[in-house]
Amino acid sequence: MRPEIDTANLVEARHLSVSYGAKRAVDDVSFTIPKGRVVGLLGHNGAGKTTLMKAMVGLARPQGDLVVLGLNPIRDRTELLQSACYIPDVATLPRWARVEDLITLMDGLHPRFSADRARALLRRTSVGLRDKVKSLSKGMVAQAHLALTAAIDARLMILDEPTLGLDVLSRKAFYEMLIDEWCDGERSVLISTHQVEEIESLLSDVLMLNEGKLVLNLSLEDMDRRFVALSHDAAVAEEMAAGHPLLRYRLAGAGGSPYASLFDGEPPAHLQALGRRMRPSLVDLFVALTRKPELDRQHF
Amino acid sequence: MQIWGQKQPIYQQLADLLAAQLLDGEPGEGEAMPSVRTLATQYLLNPLTVSRALQALGDEGLLENRRGLGLYVNCGARDRLRAVERERFLQTEWPRLRERLRRLGIGAEQLNWEDRT
Repeated sequence: MRPEIDTANLVEARHLSVSYGAKRAVDDVSFTIPKGRVVGLLGHNGAGKTTLMKAMVGLARPQGDLVVLGLNPIRDRTELLQSACYIPDVATLPRWARVEDLITLMDGLHPRFSADRARALLRRTSVGLRDKVKSLSKGMVAQAHLALTAAIDARLMILDEPTLGLDVLSRKAFYEMLIDEWCDGERSVLISTHQVEEIESLLSDVLMLNEGKLVLNLSLEDMDRRFVALSHDAAVAEEMAAGHPLLRYRLAGAGGSPYASLFDGEPPAHLQALGRRMRPSLVDLFVALTRKPELDRQHF
Repeated sequence: MQIWGQKQPIYQQLADLLAAQLLDGEPGEGEAMPSVRTLATQYLLNPLTVSRALQALGDEGLLENRRGLGLYVNCGARDRLRAVERERFLQTEWPRLRERLRRLGIGAEQLNWEDRT
């Protein structure tokens, strides 16, 4: 029986921490994931992304409150995994198996898996049912893996670095399948990646971790409203710096002003008059919020 | 993969892109717009962003929502877009172009008005 959950939030975390011995990998984070969202989980290596994802599917024991699909991931893990699916960063498919064997296996293992849907999803790809996993390229394996996972009638998908090591066309095909076949306005997906620039336009929300702490938790729509980037010339760099921007950086490409300053909130009017308003990019915000303080002075 | 510019919000960039296509008759007046999901997949965008772009085109009177059927291109959408584009050219682009022509000393008679070179 599918648990009927009335709440609009698929995930609710309050004061959530996960420790490995003395080390706090996830440190007092609170957030919610409503339905119908595409949430990016960003952070450097070791920031706690994988640990947080593991806690959400009951593979790491957290302190604090964590409710996923109305369930406790540790206590109700079996029930949870009927409606939440997870591709870990270390996921592999058995090399000796044929794709159709994997469909048979999943069909026997997972009560909410649809073999027909898996076959339909695989028809989008160049992966054949008779292909052995070891004969597939890395990009094709990732697509097969996504097809097998998206064939589960779940409500939450958790993807840990799903496109790591894939070339640009494979990444594109992966995300196309994700948007077209998974995102239906009801289900949500949490996805971690280092390819921030590529994934920005796909996201509805972003969670940013730095050394286990949540340093940003907002929708992309709010990001455009809250953060302001001003492009400007070198001549006004001093004045911009005096306005205490989060980050100052050089702009790539010819033409226009060569510098930009990123502000949290509306910059003072006299600074706005000196620069040109730009869309703040997620990658700039990522650099601003996760760099080490000792690097501050070297960046500009 | 498409990397969007930083000059404007992404939804606005998509709205401009779709408006340019409408001006070229793609899709034509009275025809259906592609669905949010189709556009989201095509441009690798969050569906909410696509909805905002379509909303912006709707607010400009270019699209109409036919209940249960989706969005359709309004009759007169191309004329309206062309009028906006003409106005933009005359108000902002032409003065800059005129200034550049003056600086380079190029008169109307030196410009090739035919397609042939």
